[in-house]
Amino acid sequence: MVPFRYNVRNLFVRRTTTIAAALGVGLVVFVLAAALMLSEGLQRTLDMSGRADTAIVLRKGSDSEMPSSIEDATVALIKGAPGVKKDASGKPEVIAESVVVLFQDLLNGAGKSNATLRGVPLDDIVAFRPEVKLVEGKMAAAGSDEVIVGAKLVDRFANMTLGSTLELRKNRAVKVVGIFEAGGSSFESEVWGDLDYVRQSFGREGVVSSVRARLDNAAVFDGFSTAIESDKRLGLASLREPEYYRKQSENTSIFIMAMGTIIAVFFSIGAMIGGMITMYGSVAHRKREIGVLRALGFSRLAIMASFLFESVLLALLGGAIGTAASLAMGLVRFSMLNFTTFSEIVFQFHPTPEILVRSLIFGGVMGVLGGFLPAIRAARTAPIEAMKG
Amino acid sequence: MSEASSQESDETGGAKAESKPKPPAVAKQAKAIIECKGITRSFWRGKERLDVLDGLDLEIPEGSFEALMGPSGSGKTTLLNLIAGLDRPTAGKLVVAGTEVSAMGDAALAHWRSQTIGFVFQHFNLIPVLTALENVELPLLLTKLPSSERKKRAQIALRVVGLEDRMHHRPQQLSGGQEQRVGIARAIVHDPKIIVADEPTGELDRKSAGEVLNLLEKLNREFDKTILMVTHDPVAAERASVLRRLDKGKLL
Repeated sequence: MVPFRYNVRNLFVRRTTTIAAALGVGLVVFVLAAALMLSEGLQRTLDMSGRADTAIVLRKGSDSEMPSSIEDATVALIKGAPGVKKDASGKPEVIAESVVVLFQDLLNGAGKSNATLRGVPLDDIVAFRPEVKLVEGKMAAAGSDEVIVGAKLVDRFANMTLGSTLELRKNRAVKVVGIFEAGGSSFESEVWGDLDYVRQSFGREGVVSSVRARLDNAAVFDGFSTAIESDKRLGLASLREPEYYRKQSENTSIFIMAMGTIIAVFFSIGAMIGGMITMYGSVAHRKREIGVLRALGFSRLAIMASFLFESVLLALLGGAIGTAASLAMGLVRFSMLNFTTFSEIVFQFHPTPEILVRSLIFGGVMGVLGGFLPAIRAARTAPIEAMKG
Repeated sequence: MSEASSQESDETGGAKAESKPKPPAVAKQAKAIIECKGITRSFWRGKERLDVLDGLDLEIPEGSFEALMGPSGSGKTTLLNLIAGLDRPTAGKLVVAGTEVSAMGDAALAHWRSQTIGFVFQHFNLIPVLTALENVELPLLLTKLPSSERKKRAQIALRVVGLEDRMHHRPQQLSGGQEQRVGIARAIVHDPKIIVADEPTGELDRKSAGEVLNLLEKLNREFDKTILMVTHDPVAAERASVLRRLDKGKLL
């Protein structure tokens, strides 16, 4: 084998071209890593919203809470289904919620966008979702025109700071009395108000969008589900909460990954050509050295492996730069429309070791592909011709 | 050596050699280490065939130090490349160190070169990013020797050429004469039977050339290396024990 230090030092000697080619690869790896981190961030945010021991019941055929509607009478039946957990007073731990879309002004006149408004039973909601913590103000009072706003919306939408007045519809203003966090989950991208007030505001009296039931444990879900879905007249469908949120994020996540991958693949063609040109230049510049190595007895395979290694090293250097730069994206918040709910969801780029390794491997593969032809040219160099210079 | 050479010349179809009084090491050796029989090497320029070597017969005994002279285009370097296993003849049989190199494949030839031949080049051809020690160690990377042993042997080779104190210098930090001595250390580090030197003094001043030739003589006399040197320099050729002249692809 040709010693590795030969390649490492050659990359250092040609540092200007090395850095230029590495930055090209780095940019591609950055784009890919950022897209994967974005997709991961979205999935995590939605995953955090669900618990394995909680079932969500929707109208059959609804793929989200928004288009679903369940009559109040049916909610009572769900409360009596097998497997539903009861609190200390014997009350079933079941909440019914109404979910609608608010079309609201963004901050700084950046236009308008959709935000989710959730009508919740304010007296029971903190007990049902203990991860919810007020970080400013107070809890909205049941039956009032008060709302609390998820912390991630405050910097995104106008009129969502503490004390602001928010118009749900014309002549339906509500007061923001609290800002809450919910463990980083998608609830932090929602506005919560009193269930009945929200239903009245949107003419949805007598129906809710979804019903969530806390179960005795995750294992009893099948029994609960069978009981709920067996009565065809009710027309209900139930899912475990994590499964529901996974489906919620699926389309958006696939879109982000597909876009990121397509962009990365197109960019990578440019970066690979850049790397290839660098390596072809290197082979031409070191023709005499290749001839000497061949004369000394290094095989064609050893020469090819050496130049391929150098190309991969160059790409990994770029990959490391791109991956390191992508880590900084972990500090950035991102807002986008969830393609299932058509509401904005705010989440963060989430780096994981797997994403970083995958991005780095992608960079390495670019090195292999970009360096392959130059390495073959190096291996095919005839020693006599090469040593003529 | 002169008698042996004359005998060989007669046997090889009249290839003549000018011989000097033989050194004792060579006198004991009569066995040929290089045997060329009817070697032809042709190149094509368009439709025109050029026979750079034309049915050449040659035998070089083991342990000799021979110089090959001739005008440009006479086929000296082509012959050297064939003997060194860098090229294959168009026709004829070439046996070097007991191996018929004319019949070997590319990979086998590379392996054979790594064990049998030491190269000394006109332009030194050291790898610029490696130190003198690392350059000398290169041929040993093709062996199974452990790293410590490789380094030890490379140091010994540098000591032989008098450059042990320059082992951590890069080629650009050495003079031309020193670079060529590193080149010679690289040529002997793996203990090859044959050293081929293509114009080893071509890039050097007279003093450095003298030092390099002294070294080649020393390798021949003290280490029994068979040396075949192509040169244009009559002073360098004088240092060989046998001088052969080549013209238009034939030995004179």
